[in-house]
Amino acid sequence: MTVQEIISHMLCSFVGTVGFAVIYSVPKKYYFACGITGMAGWLTFLFVSSRPYMSASVASFFGAFVVVLIARILTVYMKCPITVFLIPGILPLVPGAGVYYTAYYIVTNQLTQASLKGIESLKIAFAIVMGIVIVVSIPREVFHVIFWERKRRKNDGKD
Amino acid sequence: MEKEKVEDSKIMESENSLQSDGNVKQVVDFALEAGRILLKNGGEIFRVEETITRICQHFGVEHVDIFTLSHGIFVSAENEKGDAYTKVKHIPLSGAHLGIVAEVNELSRQIAEGKVELPKARERLAKIDRIPASNSGLQILGAGIAAACYGFLMGSNLTESVVAFCIGCIVQVWVLLAKKGRLSKIIVNIAGGMLIMSFALLARMFATMSPLRLDGIIIGGIMPLIPGLAFTNAIRDIADSDFLSGTVRMMDALMVFVYIAVGVGIVLITFNNMTGGFIL
Repeated sequence: MTVQEIISHMLCSFVGTVGFAVIYSVPKKYYFACGITGMAGWLTFLFVSSRPYMSASVASFFGAFVVVLIARILTVYMKCPITVFLIPGILPLVPGAGVYYTAYYIVTNQLTQASLKGIESLKIAFAIVMGIVIVVSIPREVFHVIFWERKRRKNDGKD
Repeated sequence: MEKEKVEDSKIMESENSLQSDGNVKQVVDFALEAGRILLKNGGEIFRVEETITRICQHFGVEHVDIFTLSHGIFVSAENEKGDAYTKVKHIPLSGAHLGIVAEVNELSRQIAEGKVELPKARERLAKIDRIPASNSGLQILGAGIAAACYGFLMGSNLTESVVAFCIGCIVQVWVLLAKKGRLSKIIVNIAGGMLIMSFALLARMFATMSPLRLDGIIIGGIMPLIPGLAFTNAIRDIADSDFLSGTVRMMDALMVFVYIAVGVGIVLITFNNMTGGFIL
């Protein structure tokens, strides 16, 4: 992958996520954080899926993992519900295209293609569920510890 | 039903003598309203239940039981004497406004810290409920940009992304108009799919320089219609083991995809019949 491609993907995933944040009426002050979340998730997906022996669902798992992790850290930092970052951020990974193709192939009576796409989308959806579950089951205090330590260090630095 | 009525009247009777009975009613009503606003604007089941419990407990209603579905909340509370107060609220599946979710969350946090009293909180909740969505011009632009960017991420080239941008804007205009006219979801999505495909075919006919692939354009163009919130919340609810609500929301999301595909399919089949050629 060339540098140019990577930069364009970074830019597109960032701006696209912000676009979705606008559609879902996220307050303006969170736009940047939403963009970062979406970008990190997509880059992880891209990186993992370019490795050999890695399927789209494995890549989605890692992408979702990173998105939820960043969203949880941001939740603690900015004191707002995780939904605000999670929903726009995870959208590039959600198999919207796959589900659409499944429905489309069913409508146009190409059933083999439909089942292929459908099962792949299902796998991706479950991979995302796994990614979310693992991060959500980390206890809340862990994030607070990180937060407090950083705050203490910042205060020390100021003094 | 009758039992409930009797208990209700009991509460009414003793309201004058004991302040706490009226308090239970007021607190539960307020908590339920907060839950309704959260659920309507895209909060998860887990968050709704947590908010209601938090508010009730802070205002001194200890015994409270909540059962939340994707489109309804059932709350039952008891005072010290064992008088129950039950309320059911139906909430139709509807749009998304994450700003309101954030505001309600902030309010419930402040209530739990004891900074806000009940009358003030009620006033603020009413104000939060009226927060408008993002500026429609900005929303149209956002939809266009999202369409172009996702089209590009899914592998379309620059020209196709530009087409996807235009289609995304047009589709968002349609979605906003439909929201104003309170059209049914089925019509909105079928007509949306038809719009996307018609404009994609139109662009293909005019683009003589390079052949446009329809895949990337359509995937980008459907982005404003995609029920991303319903889909993600469904996945989150399933991750929290709220299987019933998760399934309902997933079904809601899947049906939208089917409607879009029907719309796209109608235009494609008509086009193929008219021209006699096969595309895609």
